Amino acid sequence: MKMTISRKSLGIPYGIFLFLFVVAPLIVIVYYAFTNGSGHFTFENLTGFFRDPNTTGTLVYSLVLAFVTTCICLGIAYPVAYVLAMGKLKFKSVLMMLFIMPMWINFTLRITALKEILTLIEGNLAFYPFLNSVVGMTYDFLPFMILPIYTTLSKLDLSLLEAAQDLGADRKQTFMRVILPLSMPGVISGISMVFLPAMTNYVVLDMLYNSTYIMGSLIGSYFSAYNWHGGSMISLILLALICIFTLLSSGKEEETRGGSIL
Amino acid sequence: MKKFKILSALLPFILLSGTVPVRAEDDTVILRVCNWEEYVDEGGWDEEETIELESGDIYGADPLYEEFEAWYYENYGQKVKVEYSCFGTNEELYNMLTLGDVYDLVVPSEYMFMKLLEEDMLVPYSADFFDEEKKDNYYIRNVSPFIRDTFENNEIDGHHWNEYAAGYMWGVTGILYNSDSVSKEDASTWKILDNPDYFRQITVKDNVRDTYFAALGAIKSDKLLSEGFRNDPAYRDKLAEEMNDVSPETIEKSLDYLQRVRDNVYSFETDSGKADMVTGKVLANYQWSGDAVYAMDQAEEEDDVCLSFAVPDECTNLWFDAMVMLKKGISEDPRKQAAAEAYVNFMSRPDNAVRNMYYIGYTSSISGGPDGDQVFEYMDYVYGAEEDEEDVVDYDVSYFFGERDGEPASITAPAEQVDRQLFAQYPTEEVMNRSSLMFYFDAKANADINRMWVGVRCYNIKNVPVLCWVIIALVIIAGVFLAIRKKKNER
Repeated sequence: MKMTISRKSLGIPYGIFLFLFVVAPLIVIVYYAFTNGSGHFTFENLTGFFRDPNTTGTLVYSLVLAFVTTCICLGIAYPVAYVLAMGKLKFKSVLMMLFIMPMWINFTLRITALKEILTLIEGNLAFYPFLNSVVGMTYDFLPFMILPIYTTLSKLDLSLLEAAQDLGADRKQTFMRVILPLSMPGVISGISMVFLPAMTNYVVLDMLYNSTYIMGSLIGSYFSAYNWHGGSMISLILLALICIFTLLSSGKEEETRGGSIL
Repeated sequence: MKKFKILSALLPFILLSGTVPVRAEDDTVILRVCNWEEYVDEGGWDEEETIELESGDIYGADPLYEEFEAWYYENYGQKVKVEYSCFGTNEELYNMLTLGDVYDLVVPSEYMFMKLLEEDMLVPYSADFFDEEKKDNYYIRNVSPFIRDTFENNEIDGHHWNEYAAGYMWGVTGILYNSDSVSKEDASTWKILDNPDYFRQITVKDNVRDTYFAALGAIKSDKLLSEGFRNDPAYRDKLAEEMNDVSPETIEKSLDYLQRVRDNVYSFETDSGKADMVTGKVLANYQWSGDAVYAMDQAEEEDDVCLSFAVPDECTNLWFDAMVMLKKGISEDPRKQAAAEAYVNFMSRPDNAVRNMYYIGYTSSISGGPDGDQVFEYMDYVYGAEEDEEDVVDYDVSYFFGERDGEPASITAPAEQVDRQLFAQYPTEEVMNRSSLMFYFDAKANADINRMWVGVRCYNIKNVPVLCWVIIALVIIAGVFLAIRKKKNER
C-alpha cells in the first residue's frame, strides 16, 4: 500500500516540470502563433511565412546548412565509432575520452578557439561564411553523433557477425547486410541530435562572422521587433519539422527492431 | 491524478507570486533597479587603479549600488535593499516590462524612455528632486548644462524629458578606425561602409536602429553635406527630420544600401567589434563612442595597432541613457520613490560619476558643480598634456562643462587626442551641432524597418543557386527511392 503511493508520487516532480516548462509554454506559443496583434485568430502568420521569399529562403539556407553539417558529422563519426566499438584497440577508453572531452569545455570558448585557428588558416574569415559555419557546427556537434552510434555498435551481438560469416558473407556483405542495418537506431538518434540543433544554433554563425540569418536568429529578430506572433509561428514550424522527422525515424526504428528479432 | 489537479489549480498562484511586488517583513525598502550589463562600477579595484585627483583619491571598493544602501541608511535612517539586475538591449527591456517583470528604476536609451512615457508607464520626479538648495540633490546640482538643456527642450506628448528622466550616460556614434590603414577622410563618412577599398575589412553593429541610421546618413549624404542645407536657419530641426525619415521610399533605398553594405563588410557584430579592432582583424568598426574609448584604451596597451575615432561629416546619432522610474514598480509608495530619487542622486555625485566613467568607459551626464569638480579633473588627469609636451592643443569643452573661472572650459591635451579618446568621450561642439536624435519608430514604421532588416540579413529564396535545387531534388528522390525499395523488400 505504502509502496504504491510513493511510487506514484515519484512522478510528481516530473509532472510539474512537464507542465511548467513543456506544456504551458507550448500553449502560449500556439496561442501567439495563431493570433494577430489585436488578439484575433488568424492564419496570416503561417501564410506570411511561406509567402515571404526571405523567410522561406532562410528555411532553405538552414536546411542546407544542417544537412551538410549532418552528412559531414556522420561521415566522420561512423568510422570513428566503428573502430572504437569493433577494433581491438589498446587505448580504447583514452580515445573515447578524447572525442568526448570537448563536450566538457565551454561551448563559446571552443568556438572562440576555433575562430582563431580558422583565421590562421584562411586569413579573412569573411570570405567563406558558409564553410566556416559548417566547420563550427561539425566541431560542436560531432560528439553527439559519435556517442549514440558507438553505443549501438558496442552493444551489437557478435554472434550475429559470426553467423553471417558462417553463412558465407564476406566482410563487405557482413557490414552492409548486418552491421549497418543494426546500427541504424544509433545513426538516426545521432542525426536527430545534430540536424535540428544545427538549424537553429545561430551563436556559432554569429561568432564565426556569418551574417546570414538561420531559423534561430530569425526568431530572435522577430522578438526584438516586438512581433511575438511571427516569431512563435516560426517556432511552431520548426516544431512541426521535428515531429515529421521523429515520426519518419521511429517508423524506421521499428523496422530495424523487427529485423533484429528475425 | 487528483494531486495533479490540485497542482494545476494552484499553478496560477505559483506563477503570480513571482510578479507580486515582494514586500520585506521589516521596514526595509526594496529598490529594484534594472540597468545595462556592465554599466555601473562594480568595485573591487586594484590598489594601483586609484584615481589620484587634486581634490582627493577616488577608489572603487564595493559595487556602487551596494554603497548606496549604506549611504542611504546613514543619511536618511531608512534601510534600503537594492535588487540589481541587467538587460542586454532596449527591446529586451521593453519585452521584459510588457511581459510582467516589475522594476522601480530602469536605465533605457532616449527612444525607449520616450516610448515608455508615451505608453504612460513612467512616474515623474517629485518637485523636491529639482530643489537645488537641498544638499543631497546631486543630480540637479551637478548635471551638465548641455544635458540639462537637452532634457528641458525635448518633449513628447507635452511632457518635457527632464520631468521623467535623469541623464546617466550619453554619447554619439561614429567610426572607429585603424589609423595606419584608413585615412581620417575615408572614415569621416557613412559611405565607408560600402567603400570597396575596404572590402571585407569593416564590421558593423548588428542592430536595426544603428544600421538604419547609418544607411540614412549614406543615402542622404549629398543633401546633408550641401551648403544650402548646412546654412539653413532651421538646420538642426531639418536634420532631425531627415534622420527620422521612415517613408516607404527611404526604407526601400536603405534596403538597397544595406544589402550592398552586407556584401562589402566583414560581418555584422554584436560584441566582437572591439576585440577585432584591437587584434587588427578588421580596419574599421561602426561603434558607439564609449565602446570606442574602451577599444582605443585596449589598443594602447597592446601597443601594435593605433586606433582613432571619427564622426561622419553627414551627421551622428546623439543618444542618452537615462534613469526613469516605473509606475508599476513605484506604485505610489512615497518611501520607494524617495529611495529611487536618492539612488539617482547618489549615482550623480561627481566622485561616483567618475567611478562609473572609469569602470565602463562611457561619458557621464554629470559635469560637476557645487559638490565637486572631480569630473573635469578626471578628464584632465586622463587626457591632459604633460607639462613638457610639445605638440599640444587647447580643446574646448565649454558646451559640456560651461564656464570655469570666467572662461569657457577647455583643457590642454596632446594633439593626437583630437582624433582619439578625448574626442570620443567629449566630442567637439562642432560635432554636437551636426548630431541628431533618432526617435522610436511607430508600429507601422517599426514593422516596415524590421522587414527591411530581415531582407538584409536573410538568404532570399530567389538567390538559391540552381545546382542547390538540383541537389535538394536528388536527395528527396533518393530518399523516396530507398523507402520504396525497403517496402518492396519487406513484401
